[in-house]
Amino acid sequence: MGNQNPSFILESKGKVKFEDRPVPEIKDQDPHDVIVEVKFTGICGSDIHYWQEGHIGHYIVEAPMVLGHESAGVVHSVGSAVTTVKPGDEVAMEPGIPCRRCVRCKEGRYNLCPDMAFAATPPIDGTLARYYTLPEDFCYKLPSHVSLEEGALVEPASVAVHVCRQGDIKPGDSVVVFGAGPVGLLCCSVAKAWGATKVIAVDINDERLEFAKKYAATAVFRSQKESAKDSAKRLLSETNLGGGADVIIDASGAEICIQTSIHALRTGGTYVQAGMGKDEIVWPISAMGTKELNVKGSFRYSEGDYRLAVELISTGRISVKELITGKVKFEEAEQAFHDVKAAKGIKTLIMGPTA
Amino acid sequence: MHNASCVLYGPGSIQFEDREIPQLCDEHDIIVRIAYVGVCGSDVHFWKHGGIRTMVDPQKGIIMGHEACGIVHSKGKAVKSVELGDHVAIEPGIPCRRCKNCKDGQYNLCKAVKFAAAPPDSHGTLTKFFRIPEDFVYRIPPDIPLEEIVIVEPLSVAVHAVRLVDIRPGETVVVMGSGTIGLLCGAVAKAFGASQIILVDIIDRKLEFAEQFLPCQTFKPLSNASPEENAAALNKAFGIDDGVDVVIEASGAATSIQTGIHVLKSGGKYVQTGLGKPNVEVPILTLSEKELLVRGCFRYGSGDFELAASMLVKRQLDFKSLISSISTFEHVVDAWEKTARGEGVKNLIKVQD
Repeated sequence: MGNQNPSFILESKGKVKFEDRPVPEIKDQDPHDVIVEVKFTGICGSDIHYWQEGHIGHYIVEAPMVLGHESAGVVHSVGSAVTTVKPGDEVAMEPGIPCRRCVRCKEGRYNLCPDMAFAATPPIDGTLARYYTLPEDFCYKLPSHVSLEEGALVEPASVAVHVCRQGDIKPGDSVVVFGAGPVGLLCCSVAKAWGATKVIAVDINDERLEFAKKYAATAVFRSQKESAKDSAKRLLSETNLGGGADVIIDASGAEICIQTSIHALRTGGTYVQAGMGKDEIVWPISAMGTKELNVKGSFRYSEGDYRLAVELISTGRISVKELITGKVKFEEAEQAFHDVKAAKGIKTLIMGPTA
Repeated sequence: MHNASCVLYGPGSIQFEDREIPQLCDEHDIIVRIAYVGVCGSDVHFWKHGGIRTMVDPQKGIIMGHEACGIVHSKGKAVKSVELGDHVAIEPGIPCRRCKNCKDGQYNLCKAVKFAAAPPDSHGTLTKFFRIPEDFVYRIPPDIPLEEIVIVEPLSVAVHAVRLVDIRPGETVVVMGSGTIGLLCGAVAKAFGASQIILVDIIDRKLEFAEQFLPCQTFKPLSNASPEENAAALNKAFGIDDGVDVVIEASGAATSIQTGIHVLKSGGKYVQTGLGKPNVEVPILTLSEKELLVRGCFRYGSGDFELAASMLVKRQLDFKSLISSISTFEHVVDAWEKTARGEGVKNLIKVQD
């Protein structure tokens, strides 16, 4: 019979396998824990990166690690101190557990905890398994009309919520989002939900722009081979942004987009770095300085982001169903990874292992 | 007794008992040998009335005290920031770390917080040995006399108030109430760059002490004048045109609160750190028309103890002069009664060597 917790594992760079791991149990000293039976897991660029490169920055895959972190599932069992969820509840899973004791945690920025244990960031196992253990306060009950598939989109939606909160997007703002991948699209959707009057999606890919226009953008802009300054000038004129946008989010990580953003912001505007690309780039520092821009990083999500993402989805203020372009069986996980790497579709979900 | 503890059973009723010596419960815990405990107005309230919102359980009793310092006696495996024998200040409220308030950076507002000397069973620091997690103790270098370390707790209250009201360099600050907290708020306001600090009280002796302890000016309101009149008189006395930038209300008295609202300039900032009656009359129209920013203030949160500890270590002020008396553990009631009579600024209890 074996352990009965089939898991999808990255053995080492480029090599994945299935393995049956032990079924987790609630420990006496962790009465706040919940064990979730994972039903859907989305694939993220970071999963692909670990698979292809074996590392992201100084996080190196040194031992086999379960992949996956964008998940939703059904509560299987709960510890003795758990009061907010019970077995059978459908939940979105926030996959990063901070230490709760350090200065970052206690000042309300647990996403910056240096001892964060994040699913599928080495050496912490991810969620592509039958079962996953989480503390109660990192499980978010899904309202009955929100499907588990949508539940798996709560994670990237929370990233977008966090980005938009960093950008302090408010009613009346004009917002540009560079990169129309899942995070960029979700940023457009959240910005719109929060009252931005102009939400402009930028990409090099026409298909993605078409989708963005139907999905959440008020206008789109097609990047071309030109200087950042020229691109910014053209963007402002083609989309009637006047002296510049209030907020620009980069969800591409591409150097030229980042540079264009700085030139396309109005004086006093805000820039948020959501995308991850090269470690170092050439930065238009005088424009940033003389325009007195607010420049912010954005990393994962912190208190309130998941809850807000669930609420936005639940009330229909953002919609995530359209982003799900593929659903595959657990056994087909490797093929799904290849497809995502080949940029097929927007968000592919891997189903949990069946009985 | 191995762990003699001062237990309150009701108003005016205490017993010294040998309570269980606390054990390390997890790898982050520390056991502190308590050295000194300070007396706060809330202790006096407990002594006189048996509690504030929640009364002491007469069956269980509650170990008193929350302003404490001591020496690290033992520590869990994961503790790195202190060594055995280190002198530490204690932050006496342990939050749950899991609720929204905790995770949102406002752990002082945690509803499940275990605060020292809070009935029914969150026991206090008037005991020989006290257990506390590592992140709630603050190492103080050995050259600072142990008794002064007690000041870090009330100083953290002052730091919290000043940070909430966001004092900026160059601002004019009025502190209503020249008790321990008012004096410490004045000290922190100075550290945050306030260019003019005015302490207000109705007792001459307190104002005289303030002038010695702080770089400040003082003002005594007239008892037969209205809050508006007193506010106008204060601004006139110091040549302040529109009103002051900041008011820290550290008395809780109704007339003082009202005077605070009136003495502010338009767009001024106010923080309520003093505790008095639960409901008072507030000049709400004035508050509105002047578009004042008014904030509540409760205990201390992220970063406050660190800053207070660094102020103590840097010897920014003669904190020692705030310590008016030290009673022995057996004579704890003397310390409470002195404070009740308004004698001294900070009265201490020496728990053990």
